[in-house]
Amino acid sequence: MSDCVVIGLGNTLVSDEGIGCFLVEALSQRADEFPGVDFEELGAAGMRVLHAIAGQRKAVIVDCAIMGTEPGTIRRFTPDDVRTIKSMPGFSLHEGDILRVIDLSRVLGEAPEEIVIFGIEPALLEDCEGLSPLLTDRFEAYIAEIAMELR
Amino acid sequence: MSKTVDINVHHVTRIEGHGNIVVRAKDGVVERVEWQVPEAPRFFEAMVRGRSFQDIQTIVSRVCGICSFTHSLAALRAVEDAMDITVSEQTDKLRVLAHYGEQLESHALHVGYLVAPDLLGVKSVVPLASTHLDVVKCIIRCHRLGNEWMELLGGRKTHPVAFRVGGFGRLPSIAELKDLKKRLEEIIPDLCTVADVVLSLAGGLPAFDRPTEYIALTNPGEYSFYHGPIASTDTDEQVPVQEFERVINEYVSPQSTAKWAKWHRDSYAVGSLARFNINAHELLPLAKATAAKFGLEKGCCNPYMNNVAQIVEAVQVVEHGLQLIDELLSAGITAEFPKPKPKAGDGAGAVEAPRGILFHRYQFDENGICTGANLSIPTNQNHANIQKDFEALVPQFLDLGQDKLRLYLEMLVRAYDPCISCSTHYLNVEFV
Repeated sequence: MSDCVVIGLGNTLVSDEGIGCFLVEALSQRADEFPGVDFEELGAAGMRVLHAIAGQRKAVIVDCAIMGTEPGTIRRFTPDDVRTIKSMPGFSLHEGDILRVIDLSRVLGEAPEEIVIFGIEPALLEDCEGLSPLLTDRFEAYIAEIAMELR
Repeated sequence: MSKTVDINVHHVTRIEGHGNIVVRAKDGVVERVEWQVPEAPRFFEAMVRGRSFQDIQTIVSRVCGICSFTHSLAALRAVEDAMDITVSEQTDKLRVLAHYGEQLESHALHVGYLVAPDLLGVKSVVPLASTHLDVVKCIIRCHRLGNEWMELLGGRKTHPVAFRVGGFGRLPSIAELKDLKKRLEEIIPDLCTVADVVLSLAGGLPAFDRPTEYIALTNPGEYSFYHGPIASTDTDEQVPVQEFERVINEYVSPQSTAKWAKWHRDSYAVGSLARFNINAHELLPLAKATAAKFGLEKGCCNPYMNNVAQIVEAVQVVEHGLQLIDELLSAGITAEFPKPKPKAGDGAGAVEAPRGILFHRYQFDENGICTGANLSIPTNQNHANIQKDFEALVPQFLDLGQDKLRLYLEMLVRAYDPCISCSTHYLNVEFV
């Protein structure tokens, strides 16, 4: 029975935006090493995070993040360490801000006790498949860092 | 109230691509009214060129996080049309059933998370969860069920992996279908509660009518989301999906990087209200009763009522989903896993996304390698209509002043449930 979920987010057709999906997909191939952990690649469906984290003890979210750091930087933080500066007009369901989804989960009383986010600063955000050379080079290092969180 | 307004709802970043609202009026004279869409072109058509006919539905499902099933299904329909592949009745029913999960999920999300906050005068669903927890929980149960419904049939909550050209790579078991049936029966009271709550607030929807051409799929004997040719409220002519370019007539507007569309008028609308206006006579009893509660009838041309039509459709897909499950259970699930052979061809497919009719067309060589593609998404088809609505709405409500007018314009855009910022979802944060 799992009580921890690792969620990958992003659009795999927009270069480094898809890093969360690629990392969680790669980690899920090694699921045997992480008993009690579920892996969910939710693509560009941010609101679905609400359901994926509901009732879990721990959630680890892996996503591309603009953090004002050097491209390629990976940073571990909790939702309480940051505030969103994402500007959204509220026109569309297609806008995603995971920090607001986490707020909703908390108000509903179904959020995990522990939520950890791994943000990866993109080097390239263009419509194309595959990661930038920089993130490709660092891919295994990202995997190692996230894997440590799950052990 | 002053008749001078200067509204500039500006959310431009090229990569995220939102829409902008620009309105300027001086002393009651409207000088400028624009719905601008500055989203960067996405070039998905180029991405599928050179790819196998068996991979197209997986690639294009990433076009959209909300309508990923619809994109996959439109691609499959187009590929199968190009290859002259006819799917079994079981595959057809399972696909429609899977697609209904996305309709429920998307409509619940839209009405609950975007429309209800407008009607209750709050900025988002988060404060609503503090003040109206029971209602928000109803909405979330609907949304959650839609998600699980999609996962059962698509193999994942989003970006499905179970769909294959010609059929499915994984089929649901009888036990899974029985469980889904039970859960669909249990969600009906929640849907009725959501409808009643929206009904109690529906007075907050602006009274604004503008005669409009509506376009949707139609098919005798069903409220279609998936089958049949293209119909319009302006004509009795029905156009085969293979000729969809004759309907959309795409053109370029200087105020938008997205293409616009028109058929018999300067613009047309697609989406729930379009489907309702064309197919309402095919609604099942509970959905029909839900429409009647709101006084929603064929011929409605108030775009804000698209939100109400979404509620009606959420009931419809559950009701028809239950019928489809009964039919599948009585026939039994046959373990069929077709292995289609490629051939050269050109094919088109259309499926009704929650936000309107979606068209895909592909060309393939004799090895089944894609040589060309064309996707026409519902939101692009609605852009010209949003502009025409703006042009009629601004003079009508100018007296209400800048803040109210701005709210009405924003609510109007939201009513169309647009898909204009699917490209990126990254976090944008600063450390505190």
